[in-house]
Amino acid sequence: MAKKNDSKEVKKKSNSIVHPHYACAIAAAYTVAAIPGAVPITNCGPGCSDKQYFTMSFDNGFQGSASNAGGDIPCVNLGENDIVFGGASKLDGLIKSALKIMKGDLFVVLTGCAGELIGDDVDSVVKKYRNMGYNIVSADVAGFKGNNLYGHEVVVKAIIDQFVGEYKGKKRKKLINLWFETPYFNTNWRGDYTEMKRILEGAGFEVNVLFGPQSEGVKEWKNIPKAAFNLVVSPWLGLSTAEYLQEKYNQPYLHIPVIPVGEEATTAFIRQVVEFAGIDNTKSEAFIAKEAKEYYYYLEHFSEYIGEFWFGLPSKFATVGDSAYNIALTRFLADQMGLVPVKQIITDRPPEKYREAIADLYHELSEGVSVEVEFEEDGYLVEQSLRKVDFGSGKPLILGSSWELDVAAEKKAILIEIGTPATEEVVLNRSFIGYKGAFTLLEKIYTKVVGG
Amino acid sequence: MGAKTINLDMTECNNREMRIGTIISWDGSASELVEASEYESRSQGTRKKGCPGGGGKACQLCELKMPFSQQTMCANAIVNCQAGNLLDCVLIEHSPIGCSANHPRHNLALRNGLARRGKPKENIRVFSTNLFENDMVFGASGKLRQTIRDAYERFHPKAIFISMSCSTAIIGEDIDSVAEEMQEEIGIEVIPLHCEGFRSKHWATGFDVAQHGVLRQIVNKNPKKQKDLINIIALWGTDYFTEMLKPLGLRVNYLLTLANYEELAQASEAVATTTFCNSLGNYMATALEEHFGVPQIDAPQPYGIKATDEWLRAIAKVAGKSDIIEDYIQSEHERVMPKINELREKLNGVKGFVMTGSAYSHGLISVLRELGIEVQGSIVFHHDPVYDSGNEKQNSLKFLVDEYGDIPHFTVSKTQPFQLYGILNRVETDFVIIRHNGLAPVAAKLGIPALPMGDEHFPVGYDGIIRVGEILIDIIARKKFNQVLKRHTDLGYTDWWLSQEDPFILAHHPEVLDQPIYEMNGGRYDGEEE
Repeated sequence: MAKKNDSKEVKKKSNSIVHPHYACAIAAAYTVAAIPGAVPITNCGPGCSDKQYFTMSFDNGFQGSASNAGGDIPCVNLGENDIVFGGASKLDGLIKSALKIMKGDLFVVLTGCAGELIGDDVDSVVKKYRNMGYNIVSADVAGFKGNNLYGHEVVVKAIIDQFVGEYKGKKRKKLINLWFETPYFNTNWRGDYTEMKRILEGAGFEVNVLFGPQSEGVKEWKNIPKAAFNLVVSPWLGLSTAEYLQEKYNQPYLHIPVIPVGEEATTAFIRQVVEFAGIDNTKSEAFIAKEAKEYYYYLEHFSEYIGEFWFGLPSKFATVGDSAYNIALTRFLADQMGLVPVKQIITDRPPEKYREAIADLYHELSEGVSVEVEFEEDGYLVEQSLRKVDFGSGKPLILGSSWELDVAAEKKAILIEIGTPATEEVVLNRSFIGYKGAFTLLEKIYTKVVGG
Repeated sequence: MGAKTINLDMTECNNREMRIGTIISWDGSASELVEASEYESRSQGTRKKGCPGGGGKACQLCELKMPFSQQTMCANAIVNCQAGNLLDCVLIEHSPIGCSANHPRHNLALRNGLARRGKPKENIRVFSTNLFENDMVFGASGKLRQTIRDAYERFHPKAIFISMSCSTAIIGEDIDSVAEEMQEEIGIEVIPLHCEGFRSKHWATGFDVAQHGVLRQIVNKNPKKQKDLINIIALWGTDYFTEMLKPLGLRVNYLLTLANYEELAQASEAVATTTFCNSLGNYMATALEEHFGVPQIDAPQPYGIKATDEWLRAIAKVAGKSDIIEDYIQSEHERVMPKINELREKLNGVKGFVMTGSAYSHGLISVLRELGIEVQGSIVFHHDPVYDSGNEKQNSLKFLVDEYGDIPHFTVSKTQPFQLYGILNRVETDFVIIRHNGLAPVAAKLGIPALPMGDEHFPVGYDGIIRVGEILIDIIARKKFNQVLKRHTDLGYTDWWLSQEDPFILAHHPEVLDQPIYEMNGGRYDGEEE
């Protein structure tokens, strides 16, 4: 192998990336695929959609796909002739056939780099089918415009604009639109959406969950304008969608930047949402009481292990991941478990305008606990940064991705994969959030501790 | 040796379809494809027959044109698994970040490949220049130069490869000039690879492109012959070749994946070159023969008894071991035949289906038929009517048909899941053997378990027959899982499509797209005219 750990400082002079922690905008095909009944169609070169599959799904907990992603995505597979002479007629043939072959309630055409650079008028091709009565929308998601999180927001807006459409009717007081984790990109999104829906329904709400197994799919999207408000549970992603919906449907939004993990945070979360909605809290308080009772039943038992295990526990920990999971898990471990955060690195390229607010969240992790979070997308520099961390005398703990496997091995650290790529984990319906997910996270960490 | 067929003067390597007439869409029987391919007259340049393509080596077979396709791999992805999986070299992908979204896949492959070869696991070292909209407008050569400097400073590689992407090719990035200039500056080989995804209709061109770069800039031009070294063009497979070739006094030099710079350089010093798959290895093998005088093994691929016999004999010949080879072959037969016969009994009545790259499928079907497994059909992801060598013993499809009989349903289709339902309906099968993603999930929901042939050397040689037979017994047991899936899941295709018997009906009768289908889809009744 080439020499890897030069002790001398390597200055980074370009914005190149080694070990990327995200995919590109056309990976928003997986935002579409996460909506039951929706089918992505990609207008790009061969290879683009296939590559995104690995960062988004296969090498991200081996999530798989079901009939509308993975190998199934209809793709124009632009060739040399199309680059020279234009690809619009080929795209037209693809859409015409896809509407006949692929079972779906909504089709979303995603245009990538090659499609965008050759300058075909994709919108007019798509509009032709929309005018024929098909539910079909078009989104510009060239990879050079941004990463998969950027693409996610573009696609969400395209569907709202071109499919959900105008609405002047009544709103339903208890109906919420949930804007939460990025489907597929967050390794645990399916389990987390399920837990979030369970919590909000337990508190007395109806939820347009919009993505995943709990979603009613395309018809649920038609209900977006009927919701009383938009609930954004994420440090920044979803905010631009909520602002857009406020404008479009006169819907207010509630922004809760930190996904709740554990009883205290989840209970506070429920109370905040109930108060914002102005609904009666009898149901939510009864739900909280029941959940809290069960939570502390388990926590009390677990405390014996924490108190009496002779063979070493982790204390100082590092977190490498997207904004949403990074702050959520860091805060839980710092505030509820008393672990010590020493290096927190955000890898998902949040827009500049949100960074200060995100950094502030790390200043109030818990009473007396504050860290300076770093923003870094180049995995090489992330790993170099981790190499320099002093984890003290305890077993080092790194919450990260498969890219941190080598540095974790050097540090003799426990690595818990919390984001893509995650190739040491097989994930079905796992969650790390809310009342139930917190324990799954604890089981995950401490199983590795006792197993090691 | 006649005129050279491979030109190493240019940085670009010709696409497969331009060199050897590669196709990606065809349907018929294997014997019909052998006949249509005209391997022999194609390689000798005597093919005429009034073919509109002119009849040369690269003349296209009549290919089915479909208006519908699903996502596939590309040549750029293949280059990533080649130049990006070398141990002391670095690959820079000159592209927006999405072209690098398959890095986790090839990282997993590298780590597992290293483990198979008994080496410590390590992460890949591949850069993305991470280009944005501004770079598309103003060009990105400055970023590329800086990334090359970063790569050199960070990892001190022995060589740096640069891969072209769709976007950088469209905006006209001159990676050749940057490579030349930076090679001067940093003093190691900087190798441009022209593998933009749109350029070739089949990803296998990516193997040729990566090999082309290695041949031009790394392979030693003043070789000192190593009489006991044999090149095996391979991927991440387990090292079964050493145990097979040690009795012939040979050491194995695996190329390209998992190799280091020295191993690549010494390719010109070997006594011969061979491979587990002609589709993968023939460009490099032919170039080594034409430009460096390293002969190719004049034999079929080593799958099944007869081909393995011939392959070993041909290797013994170049290694100067013809005197011992018959004894070796005989003792191997005596060793493996009892076990193979036992497996034949256990697998009696079993039927199989193979869907992999082209020449590899030919080999796998030989192994299945050697085990007495009936194979009624196969999908190959492309078909090369001839290989670069033009060597008739390497005509793997003809060898298969001649030795093991015809395959009635032989389909060329580039990982198209929508066709698989119709294709599998035409045959009986208890399992599928698969490489590349996308197809196994459809088979799975039809109740058919898949053997993903992730270790590509698994079926090679005499022991390969045993390994395949044994694992198939486990795979067939997994059918219970697939039957559960079949009972409770659904394919994402319309009833109209699933009722089509011909998987190529859109090519044969494109007018069916205008028929009404009386089925609610996409928010309306299709075919309804308003």
